[in-house]
Amino acid sequence: MCIRRGMTKVSAALILAALRFPCICRGHAFYHFIPKGVFMGSFIQLSNFPKILPYAQLFRQGIIVTVMLSLFTVAIGFCIALVLALMRLSNIRPFRFLGKTKEGYQREKGFLALLSRFNPLSFIATAYVELLRSTPVLVQIFIIYYGVFGIINLPSFSMFGFIKFDRFFPGVVALGMNSGAYLCEIIRSGIQSIDGGQTEAARSLGLSQVQNLRYIILPQALKNILPAIANEFVVIIKESAITYTIGVQDIMSAVNAVKGATFIIVEPLLVATAIYFCLCFPTSKLIAYFERRMSRGDKR
Amino acid sequence: MATRDNSLIQVTDLKKHYNMGAIKALDGVTTDICKGDVVVVIGPSGSGKSTFLRSLNLLEEPTGGSILFDGIDITKKKYVNSEGKKVKLNIDELRQKMGMVFQHFNLFPHMTILDNMTLAPVKVKGMAKADAEAKALALLDRVGLKDRAGAYPIQLSGGQKQRVAIVRALAMEPQVMLFDEPTSALDPEMVGEVLDVMKELAKEGMTMVCVTHEMGFAREVGSRVLFMADGKLLEEGTPEDIFGRPQNPRLKDFLAKIL
Repeated sequence: MCIRRGMTKVSAALILAALRFPCICRGHAFYHFIPKGVFMGSFIQLSNFPKILPYAQLFRQGIIVTVMLSLFTVAIGFCIALVLALMRLSNIRPFRFLGKTKEGYQREKGFLALLSRFNPLSFIATAYVELLRSTPVLVQIFIIYYGVFGIINLPSFSMFGFIKFDRFFPGVVALGMNSGAYLCEIIRSGIQSIDGGQTEAARSLGLSQVQNLRYIILPQALKNILPAIANEFVVIIKESAITYTIGVQDIMSAVNAVKGATFIIVEPLLVATAIYFCLCFPTSKLIAYFERRMSRGDKR
Repeated sequence: MATRDNSLIQVTDLKKHYNMGAIKALDGVTTDICKGDVVVVIGPSGSGKSTFLRSLNLLEEPTGGSILFDGIDITKKKYVNSEGKKVKLNIDELRQKMGMVFQHFNLFPHMTILDNMTLAPVKVKGMAKADAEAKALALLDRVGLKDRAGAYPIQLSGGQKQRVAIVRALAMEPQVMLFDEPTSALDPEMVGEVLDVMKELAKEGMTMVCVTHEMGFAREVGSRVLFMADGKLLEEGTPEDIFGRPQNPRLKDFLAKIL
């Protein structure tokens, strides 16, 4: 029995070490600061939570930063996405005339037919979307922060006294550009999901292309894509955590600060987990509520 | 081409080809639609009836031929106006003059019936909202749907939807109404109520072009019947001629099948 218990203890310790080790190893710079003693002891120590309390203010500010970051990101991302989606759906083909044969028929095959179908606006938008979707957001943030805003000097002032603009702004731009690519695809699919008959009816009544989009297509499309947009909003809130790598003082940077000062890691992470959950869960619930309200017109 | 005095739409050698001319949806259609005409287009499916109708307000872009509407060739991007200047053709302005009714109604599902009807008059014609609403209600009253003004399209039956679609187009005060198989998507018992509205419209002297499979309607209301097959206009004439003394073997065959 005794030996067995000993075995259980050892295996438990091994499992715990295995559980902690990856989280310590993967968190970029974490392991530099961790003395070996931290590996001992249990996974979560309740006594550690009170030690975080003095840093509550950091978390409070972090929440505000994260919320602001998400709101601005959503706003920028949505504007970019709408423009991109319209570019992708545009039908401006400058070389269209090349696709016509002498008899006035449209060419089906060959280089000229390909060239006649070329739509520069759609090409640019598609390239943007594919590029942003196929590269890590961390790389994009670093390129924006060190690359673009390494050349452009931003004024360094603080909003609300604790949001450093010169770090916040690049973070918003990078995240906004990234989510713009994803939202673009969502909006495009939403617009394409509307029956072509709607456009035909609108145009036959004399509505212009823009009026058709504004009054007929977009209101219906937005309703259809609301669940997908909700998903993207929640993703943005969570993804904003990555901006702590360029020194935006969001919730993750509060975790980092606690870790640096007290060598406590797991417990502040759990606090961050709770905060992120409390931000994301109500957001998706709220949008689900709007979804139900908007679909009232669908019922008999 | 010989034209009658009060000609509204002159179609000359209208063509719509796909795949380098391998598929000819319209293959040289020539006809003349006059003010007050009720032109009924009949023919087997795939004969190009709908393509012909949709070409009239350029929902389909024809690949050849011309359509003169009020003396203006609408298949060209520019036209010469009364002052002799070259002006760009405003397709939206043109479409205001042509009401269109679709097989699948195409009401805007996110708007009430009243909003469906006032949208175009307010946004396109710049009518005051109150005036547009008063007019919409008067039109709805004519088709017996005044009490449904606040309802959403999904709450209406097929026949009611199509009646709304007709008065929605009428709210723009078009010079001609185009009907694209308006009763084909309806349950049989609802066909009558829609045809009644169309008959009344014809009686009031509205110019109508109507693609339909309702031969009874064609015979009773049509002032002229066009028979199309394979993208060609094979025979045209009065309903008595078409139904009583058909000449073309294709038409004889078609009538034998459906009557």
